[in-house]
Amino acid sequence: MSAQLERIQADFAAALAGPAAADALLPALISDDARVLDRLALYRGNISAAWEKALANAYPVVRALVGGEFFSGLARAYGRAHPSVSGDLNRFGARFAEFIDQFEHTRSLPYLGDVAALEWRVHVAHYAADPVTLTRERIGALPPAELLTARFALHPACAWLRSRFPVASIWIAHQPQTTLGLPDSLDCSELALVVRPRWRVEVLSSSAGEIAALSRLGEGADLEEAITAGLQAEPEFAFPKALVRWLDYSVLVEPSAVVAS
Amino acid sequence: MEKRVTHQAGLNSGASRLEGAGIGLRAPHYRELLARGRCADWLEAHSENYFGDGGFDLHVLMRLRERYPISLHGVGLALGSAAGYSNAHLQKLAALVRRIEPALVSEHLCWGAVDGRVLNDLLPLPMTREALDLTCSRVAEMQDVLQRRVLIENVSSYVRFAGDDYDEAGFLNELARRSGCGILLDVNNLYVNQLNHGSDAAAQIDAISPRYVGEIHLAGHLVTELAVIDHHGARVSDAVWALYERAITHCGCVPTLIEWDTDVPELDVLIDEAATARQRCTAQRNRDVRAA
Repeated sequence: MSAQLERIQADFAAALAGPAAADALLPALISDDARVLDRLALYRGNISAAWEKALANAYPVVRALVGGEFFSGLARAYGRAHPSVSGDLNRFGARFAEFIDQFEHTRSLPYLGDVAALEWRVHVAHYAADPVTLTRERIGALPPAELLTARFALHPACAWLRSRFPVASIWIAHQPQTTLGLPDSLDCSELALVVRPRWRVEVLSSSAGEIAALSRLGEGADLEEAITAGLQAEPEFAFPKALVRWLDYSVLVEPSAVVAS
Repeated sequence: MEKRVTHQAGLNSGASRLEGAGIGLRAPHYRELLARGRCADWLEAHSENYFGDGGFDLHVLMRLRERYPISLHGVGLALGSAAGYSNAHLQKLAALVRRIEPALVSEHLCWGAVDGRVLNDLLPLPMTREALDLTCSRVAEMQDVLQRRVLIENVSSYVRFAGDDYDEAGFLNELARRSGCGILLDVNNLYVNQLNHGSDAAAQIDAISPRYVGEIHLAGHLVTELAVIDHHGARVSDAVWALYERAITHCGCVPTLIEWDTDVPELDVLIDEAATARQRCTAQRNRDVRAA
C-alpha cells in the first residue's frame, strides 16, 4: 500500500487542475522558496502545452479554421472536460468532436464538430495496421462468376463520415498540396471516405451507394450483396468505377489480413 | 518485500549491442535518416510514438532497426503513480518490444496519473521508502512482463518534497539493487535540479554506484527567472559537459544519448553533439590508459 504517496499525488493533481487547490499540497513540499506556487504553475503550463500539442497534431484543420489562439483555449477547455486517460498522448482527443458539438463558444461554427470527427478518423487511420492489400492482378485473375461471390475485408484505416456539411471538401481544401479551394456553400451534406493507400491518409468525397456497398463488405457480405446495397442506396451507383477506386486507394484487403492484425 | 528479479542476460545482451553516442529519433529527421548512410552509433525512440498497430511511424522504425541498434525510451508508463497505473500501457510496450527487439528499454523515475486521470508529464516522486517500495515492485513487474532488464532515469523537477528519506543517487542505487534494474543517468537533469534546488550534481554523480549505470542522457536546458527548464531545445551546456566528464570518469564510457525535443534542429546538429560526446569518451579512455 502507498497510502501517503497516493494522497500526495492526489493533492498534486488537484493543485495542477486549479491553483485554488494548491494549499493542501504545500505542507508536502519544501516551500522555503517563495516561488513554489509559480513553480507548480510551470507544471500546469507544461501539461496544457502537451495536451494542446497532441490536439494540434490530430486536428490541424480544426486549428486552421478557428486560429491558433482560439484553439489554445479550446484545448484547455477540452482538457478540463475530458481529462487524458492514457500515457500515450496520441490517444488524447478521442472525444474532441463531441465536446465541440456541445461547447457554447463554437456554436457559430456548426460544421466544426463534424470536421473534428473526420480528423479523428484520419488520425486513427494514420496508426492503423498495415494489411496485405488487394491487387488488380488478384481481382483480374478471378472468373466473373467468382468475383460476385468473393468476400473481401476493408483496410483497417478505412472509415467514413456522413455530415450535413461538406466536410470532405473542407478537409481537402486545407491540405498542403491541394489546388481546391473551400466549398462555395456550407449548406450541402457530404459523405467523406477515409483511406490510406500507402502511408499517407487521404479523404475522398464519397456517395451513398459507395458507403452502402463498403458497409456491407465490412460486415462480411460478398460483392454481389454489396453491389445490391449500393444500388438500393443510390440508383446511379456505378460498381466498376467504385471497384477501380477501391483498388487505387487500397480500400479492400484479403479477409485474412485483417484477422491477422 | 518485492520479488527479487534478475534479468542479467537481458541487460548483458542489450548493453553489448549499444556502444558510443546515439541520437533521439524524431519525425522531422525520418526521411533524412532513411536516405543517408549510418550517421549515429544508435537511435533512441520514444516508445509511445510507435504504439500503433501499423502506419508510417512504425514502418520507419522497422526500417531503421535494420541499420541501427534501437533503444526504446518510454515517457508514459508513469511507474511511480500510486493510483491510476496502467497495465494496458505496459502490455502495449511489451508488444512493441517484441516487434522491435531493442538493445535497451528505459523509463523514468516519476509518476503521472491519479485515479481516472493521466497528467502526461514526468512528475517528481518524493524520495521516500514508501515511493521506493512502490517503484521497486513496478520495475520488477515491468522486467517480468518485458522479460528483460530495464534502465530507469532520474528526472528534473521544479519542486522538492519535504521528508525525503533518500537523495536521488541513494534512491536510484536502492532501486537498482532491489529490483535488478539499471540506471539511466541524465546528467542534464542533475544539473537542472542543482540550479532549481541547490542540490550538488557532482556529489550525486559521485554517489551513484557505477555498476548500475547503463546509459547517460545529455540535453540542453533553458534558464528562466523562475526556474531552469529541462526543455531539450539547445546544445548541451559547458557545465553539463563538465559533469558528463565526471560521470564517465566515475562510471566508464557507457552509451550516451543526445536528446532534442523542442525546436528540433537539422540532423547534423545532433550528429555534431554526439561526436562531442564520443570525443570526450575517447579522451577519457586515453586518460585511463595513461593512468594505468
